[in-house]
Amino acid sequence: MDGLRLLLPELGLSVMALLLMACDLFFDARRGKVLMGFGFVAAGVALGSLGLAYNAPDTYQGLGTLWAVDPLGLYFKAIILAATVFALMLSVDYKSPDAIRHPGSFTALVLLSAVGQMFLVSATDLLLIFLSLELVSISSFVLVGYERRDLKSSEGAMKYFLFGAFSSAILVYGISLMYAALGGTSLIDIAPAMDRGVSTSFVVGCVMLAVGFGFKVSMAPFHFWVADAYEGAPTPVTAYLSIAPKAAALAVMLRVFTHLIPHTSLDLQGIFAFMAFLTMTVGNLTALFQTNVKRLLAYSSIAQAGYLLIGFVTGDTIGREGLLMYAMVYVFMNLGAFTVAMAVGNEDGYELEAFDGLARRSLGLALLMAFFLLSLAGIPPMAGFIGKFALFAAAVKGGYWFLAVTAVLNSVVSVYYYMSVVYHMFFKAPRTLEPARTDVLMTGTLAVAAVGVLVIGLYPEPFLAAAKLSADMLPAVSSHP
Amino acid sequence: MGILSLITFLPLLGALIILVLPREQVKAVRAVGVLATLASLAASLYALSQFHPGDAAAGQLPMQFLEKFSWIPSFDVNYFMGVDGLSLPIILLTTLLCFLAAVYSASIEERVKEFYFWFLILEVGMLGVFCALDLFLFYVFWELTLVPMYFLIGVWGGPKKEFAAIKFFLFTLFGSVFMLLGILALYFQSNPHTFDMLELMKASAGFSREFQIIVFIGFWLGLAVKVPAFPFHTWLPLAHVEAPTPVSVILAGVLLKMGVYGLLRISYSILPLGYEWFLPGLIVIAVINIVYGAFCAMAQDDMKKMVAYSSVNHMGYCLLGMAAVSDAGFNGAALQMVNHGLITGALFFLVGVIYDRAHTRDINAFGGLGAKLPVYAGLMAMTCFASLGLPGLCGFISEFLCFLGAFPAWKLWTTVSVIGILVTAAFFLRMMQKVFLGPLNEKWKDLPDMSARELVAVSPLAVLMLLFGIWPRLVLDLMNPTLKVMTGMFPTMFQLVRP
Repeated sequence: MDGLRLLLPELGLSVMALLLMACDLFFDARRGKVLMGFGFVAAGVALGSLGLAYNAPDTYQGLGTLWAVDPLGLYFKAIILAATVFALMLSVDYKSPDAIRHPGSFTALVLLSAVGQMFLVSATDLLLIFLSLELVSISSFVLVGYERRDLKSSEGAMKYFLFGAFSSAILVYGISLMYAALGGTSLIDIAPAMDRGVSTSFVVGCVMLAVGFGFKVSMAPFHFWVADAYEGAPTPVTAYLSIAPKAAALAVMLRVFTHLIPHTSLDLQGIFAFMAFLTMTVGNLTALFQTNVKRLLAYSSIAQAGYLLIGFVTGDTIGREGLLMYAMVYVFMNLGAFTVAMAVGNEDGYELEAFDGLARRSLGLALLMAFFLLSLAGIPPMAGFIGKFALFAAAVKGGYWFLAVTAVLNSVVSVYYYMSVVYHMFFKAPRTLEPARTDVLMTGTLAVAAVGVLVIGLYPEPFLAAAKLSADMLPAVSSHP
Repeated sequence: MGILSLITFLPLLGALIILVLPREQVKAVRAVGVLATLASLAASLYALSQFHPGDAAAGQLPMQFLEKFSWIPSFDVNYFMGVDGLSLPIILLTTLLCFLAAVYSASIEERVKEFYFWFLILEVGMLGVFCALDLFLFYVFWELTLVPMYFLIGVWGGPKKEFAAIKFFLFTLFGSVFMLLGILALYFQSNPHTFDMLELMKASAGFSREFQIIVFIGFWLGLAVKVPAFPFHTWLPLAHVEAPTPVSVILAGVLLKMGVYGLLRISYSILPLGYEWFLPGLIVIAVINIVYGAFCAMAQDDMKKMVAYSSVNHMGYCLLGMAAVSDAGFNGAALQMVNHGLITGALFFLVGVIYDRAHTRDINAFGGLGAKLPVYAGLMAMTCFASLGLPGLCGFISEFLCFLGAFPAWKLWTTVSVIGILVTAAFFLRMMQKVFLGPLNEKWKDLPDMSARELVAVSPLAVLMLLFGIWPRLVLDLMNPTLKVMTGMFPTMFQLVRP
């Protein structure tokens, strides 16, 4: 239990989640909103406590028995917690108070899912990887189906569950194969085992592990659950799922495939390059045909995962930095887009027609939505451009020309569907002149997201520097020559 | 803050002010819009007064008003601005046309606040493109023009505006992403890695021929769409016709110049081997643009569409001059950029004037307007003559220089392209005959002549057309030293076109 102090944020959040679940018994739906408040404050405090780990690296960073708390892990924990805070803030204003019953349990589930992700990004042991992935999955299943009286919500949860259970099975089978090859579950210092030669069961195990992660990242062709789950889930949950678990799964992929498993023993880069290409292309081409904004953003998030995978494929420092940078940018822009969508969708639903003439109803909201969508499309001077720039630069530098060319062409395709939302907002006549309703917390979230996208876009240097500093992983690279 | 930043960002200041004005205050919004463009124009005139054309013998581009700050040190991206004799005239053209278009835009009644907001952002992007000396910065400004133009066409345009807007957006973006890859390739190829155009020009001697050709193709895709060079021109007639008048003016007057400017500033200067490799293709595309553009214009009954295709034709002259890689050719191409901006800007204004009154642009719907609208007819006739290259007006000089430059190198192709001049004359004369001569169509007997606002927008252009036609050295003296340096940059290359 040597490294327990490294896990203070996770422990705190777990305790908070259990407390909230107990408190839930004493609050009705309307007053229970205050529990969500406790939830996002707790997540915010956990986020702040990460600062300790940055300031006192000797005490709060290091190698535990099953986990490693290092700059990379901390960076992704910050992303996960930021997404958690904002998702809970949005939940307060979601639809009518009755839409989310038992807000305490809801909050607890979001927090538990966050805890699972935080374990995941730090895990260096196959067993912990599996356990934390299950914690994330099971709480996500429930969250997707949380609107019990909404059929779509239940449908999404059911599909998500079936796919998720299937992927877990594959993952755990892969882990067992790897156990056979390695003689243990720890991924630290497996290089000696590699020296004896790479066995077939190890390779198959690695591929299955990748498939299991692929489900979480929504890598094509394992993306089929995404659209239904995202559409059915309450919008704050959708926003959350499109950001946090994806980032966490990418982080664990980075750790396992570019770091713990030595490059020399296994070269999956060709496969991953193809997966990245497939993911962005499938995501973008499918998004073209969507008429529901939530589904559109769901497919867009698949495509975005494809861009992120570029950084993972090249695997070198610049690729990793690009991935980290884009993951941070992605939080702000995707969150912003979902927040505007929720402001409109709360009353009018999420079909594209609901966005008709938004520019004349609430010009500010429409401009912000256009701003976030353009950022997602990677148009400068928005932050999305800087992120894509870093990723494409990695592809060009690594000589992955095919990936670079398909990625930029995908960006062009994506503009078409992002602009279709803009088309409805700016070019169509509104059905009502009533401004869309936004509450304090939503406005706050929007403001944070907009400032984030703008500042990172115009002055990216500090953020690039942060990404650069966070690209370090434990155990140090030097242990694998 | 340097003068170039001032020129570029004064419109942004205006846009931000407009954003906080209430949308009912239409007059205030218009005033801020016009004042912002006027301020930018004044600043650019001040820059002109301080500008020294430089000396060709020095062998260095006379870059002036340099501003350089570190922006993103991780990628060695700098905020690096500067102008020489190639960019300054186009900057002046931009600020002038933007001011005139802003004045003309007073006729826009719908969603005025948004209109001026996007318009001013567009001006920022265009000016930035011509000032930027860092490829990253260049690209950011380049893309910055896309979004405002999308909205300007899509909200205030004609019947097919939505389609025109998205087509424009996708075409340009399709091209420019390849330019982005080219920029990245240049960055990683240079040692130390840099986006600085001036550094890259020096480093280009070390780039292999294959590399230069590949990167050139990337840049060509991005720039040719903007020029527009055949076969990437299909967005242009649609966008020009659907856009509202002031936006058509900016599209034709300034946006197309971004492509030609990029070819001279980047493709030629940084990738000379690629440029050399492409010369035979360039001359063919130039001739296709000239001849095909002219015939397409001939086939149109819609006046605006005719003017749009005439732009394809006129940008062909620019390409023709550039294919010569000689002093005369480059001077012709650069001067043609300015002249085309003036002439086509005026043409689009004038077509807009008649459309605002008659709500049709069909050539066959008019007749005998010459006597009815003498001022309008006079201005239109003069502009058409300038466009078809009548000596004494500015179009003649630049077209002549382009041909003069191209002829020694490409005798056959230059001869073929003369057909284009003939056809250009034919379609402009046909249009004037049908609209201004013959019996008066009774339907239009109450048409009023041009208003003060319209005269303010058009007459400066007419005066400049005449002035540059008689005394072209006003512009040529600014450009010539720079262009001489550019043609002398690679003395051992381009044997294909050098005697």
